[in-house]
Amino acid sequence: MADAAEDGWRVMTMLAYRPFLDPLALDAYWYLLLIPIAIGISLGYKAVRVRDMKDYPRQVLVLSIQIVVSMVALGVGAYLVVQHVLPVITPR
Amino acid sequence: MNTPANPSKPASPPDEIGFEPVAVVAGVVFPGAGHAARGEVKRGVAAAAGVLGLFVGGMLVGGIDVVDSKEDKFWFIGQALVGPIAFGVDYYHQNHLKVVDTKAGRQVRRTAYPTEGRDAATGKPVPGGNPPNTKSVSKINELGMLSCCLAGMLNLIVVIDAGWPTRRKTGGA
Repeated sequence: MADAAEDGWRVMTMLAYRPFLDPLALDAYWYLLLIPIAIGISLGYKAVRVRDMKDYPRQVLVLSIQIVVSMVALGVGAYLVVQHVLPVITPR
Repeated sequence: MNTPANPSKPASPPDEIGFEPVAVVAGVVFPGAGHAARGEVKRGVAAAAGVLGLFVGGMLVGGIDVVDSKEDKFWFIGQALVGPIAFGVDYYHQNHLKVVDTKAGRQVRRTAYPTEGRDAATGKPVPGGNPPNTKSVSKINELGMLSCCLAGMLNLIVVIDAGWPTRRKTGGA
């Protein structure tokens, strides 16, 4: 029941969405925004970094994947430390 | 004049180094224009795509509320590095979208509540109307501000590269 109400609210929010004036209703999928941010950073950084612009698309792809994989690895690492390592080493 | 230290070694063509004030000014005015002014149009377009993609993407996700020099001053310091575009967006946000409210005898600008509209002539809140924009909150707001701030910091790198062209290494990040 609550899920149906939440879905209905999300649909209504999306229908009333005004680009650049209202925020997107992506609160449930916020972590996916890592991908466009990683691509944007790679596009700008590699533009000034690559020597030959022929290598640009491949280098952008590689850096984007490196950023996303690194952030996921950091997230997994932080999860393991907080959930599994800290309970073991903290005095009770 | 550059002379190779060891004349027996084959000399690679010297890379362009030095300071280009025109490129710095162009890069500050519009992202990527510094490279274009130096004749590297393709590189300038690529840099602009990255910087503006992050800036416009951030506003698309979090709404114009993510660019706010009054309420998010420290984030705006980073966002301002995008150049006049960031200041223009902030000016529009402060003067054409926020409502002018009176609190404790002095005028303050704030985002209209969901139940309020905005009087175009005075800027005062009108009960019962549609708000000109919606305030973003939580992670969507944070990610929007972060994206726009990253755009500014990236543009600083782009402007420095345009103004002080130097040797680019082959390969690697």
